[in-house]
Amino acid sequence: MRAEISETIAAALRRQAPEGWAWLEGRDRLTGFAGAGRRFAGPAGFSDHEAELLRAAGVAAPEDWSLAEAARAWALLAASPDEVPRLFRTGDTAERVAILKCLALLPDPAAHVGLAVEALRSHVQDVFEALACDNSYPAAWLPEPNFNQMVLKALFTGAPLSRVRGLSDRLNPTLVRMCADYAAERRAAGRVVPPDIALITGGPP
Amino acid sequence: MKLFDPHIHMTSRTTDDYQAMRAAGIVAVVEPAFWVGQPRTHVGTFEDYFLSLVGWERFRASQFGIRHFCTIGLNPKEANSAELVDGVMALLPRYLEKDGVVAVGEIGFDDQTPAEERLFAEQLELARIHGLPVLIHTPHRDKKAGTERSLAVVRDCGFPEGRVLIDHNNEETLPLVLATGCWAGHSIYPNTKMDENRMVALVRRYGAERIIVNSAADWGVSDPLKVPKTARAMREAGISEAEIQAIFWFNPVFFFAQSGRLLLGDLETPAEIDQRRLWEGNSVLRGQTPVVGA
Repeated sequence: MRAEISETIAAALRRQAPEGWAWLEGRDRLTGFAGAGRRFAGPAGFSDHEAELLRAAGVAAPEDWSLAEAARAWALLAASPDEVPRLFRTGDTAERVAILKCLALLPDPAAHVGLAVEALRSHVQDVFEALACDNSYPAAWLPEPNFNQMVLKALFTGAPLSRVRGLSDRLNPTLVRMCADYAAERRAAGRVVPPDIALITGGPP
Repeated sequence: MKLFDPHIHMTSRTTDDYQAMRAAGIVAVVEPAFWVGQPRTHVGTFEDYFLSLVGWERFRASQFGIRHFCTIGLNPKEANSAELVDGVMALLPRYLEKDGVVAVGEIGFDDQTPAEERLFAEQLELARIHGLPVLIHTPHRDKKAGTERSLAVVRDCGFPEGRVLIDHNNEETLPLVLATGCWAGHSIYPNTKMDENRMVALVRRYGAERIIVNSAADWGVSDPLKVPKTARAMREAGISEAEIQAIFWFNPVFFFAQSGRLLLGDLETPAEIDQRRLWEGNSVLRGQTPVVGA
């Protein structure tokens, strides 16, 4: 399955950016991963069929991928899984976002929970949202306490709950209680309660 | 008028500064890698600092609608940290490849030691390999001699002068720099170093060609609004609009665009302020209609 996904992404790269692809293919995977940011511009432009294959493989929103992200995903899939934590830690924001967007595609996704939890701590909103929004990984792999903290942070930072994939599958009493408490805290401060909190608490804010 | 501050250490500045800078028309900055007030004691500290320049600080700037670029390098002061330099030099190739890194810098002399000279030359070579221009810090002590030595190192290494920005110039060093093909930066400070009026005098005398102005605002007493203030001083002194546009926009943009990592086209449309990212927790900025039961 992984080989098919690699080939699917490669096909899109070849079609959308033949020069960039030629550069990427001839590079060692780590150099390719780093340099892809400047060599691929615009959206990934996956075909409907390619997008369907990616969704089946666990990518929640292939339509949101940029071409650079697709190139980085391809390089990541071709690199050794041991490289992933180091690539993440030494990555700039765009590199970290690319890794988080394709976590579900990597071999042994469960092995990256530590990295995911670390990413969720980031104050760089793009990094946080790359995992919290339109990404199947958290609902599939995060332990409940971490998932709950992620949802609360999404509420806190203005990331729409409607974009937290698998939220209804992972609803739990603790999360409902935390959100009800958050709503009460906002009311006590005379501040507006985010309306989409109803997705969790079930009632009007 | 859009403004560019091509030398400012935003790591040391507050969000008040970002807000004031944006309000004054600054839409882009270059933050050079430098020291942080006292010597670092681990190679890892340099690495985390480089990561903050391309990660956190870049994001922080974007929250205020400012495009943030940086330079990466081993600064002249810490070139003297013998036990760390090899480790830091080993990091540079990786970080020089990141997007938004527009030069190798700040490099050059501080005390003018042999170690500083060696690392200066080695980093010129790195700049050549990575296709980047260089930002050179001139020492604040023994500046004229330090500037002459810096120009000599550039010449002896055969590094193209059009890709060299010699910074922190004064009345004595500017003619030396202009006599070469190098660019000349000037850091405008409240009490020390160069000020607005002296800068006006320099431009009257030497014109605007290859002249660049910055605030070099950092963790000391400095002013992140010196770029707009100096532009205003020049306007009030009757310096032509064309020269002001050159000094405060086209010159720094052109110089750093030589990196291939900064495009004039991108800068012409200033980054929008994404209010959602300001963490105000204000749901008015979110505006979603909940889809219950999704």
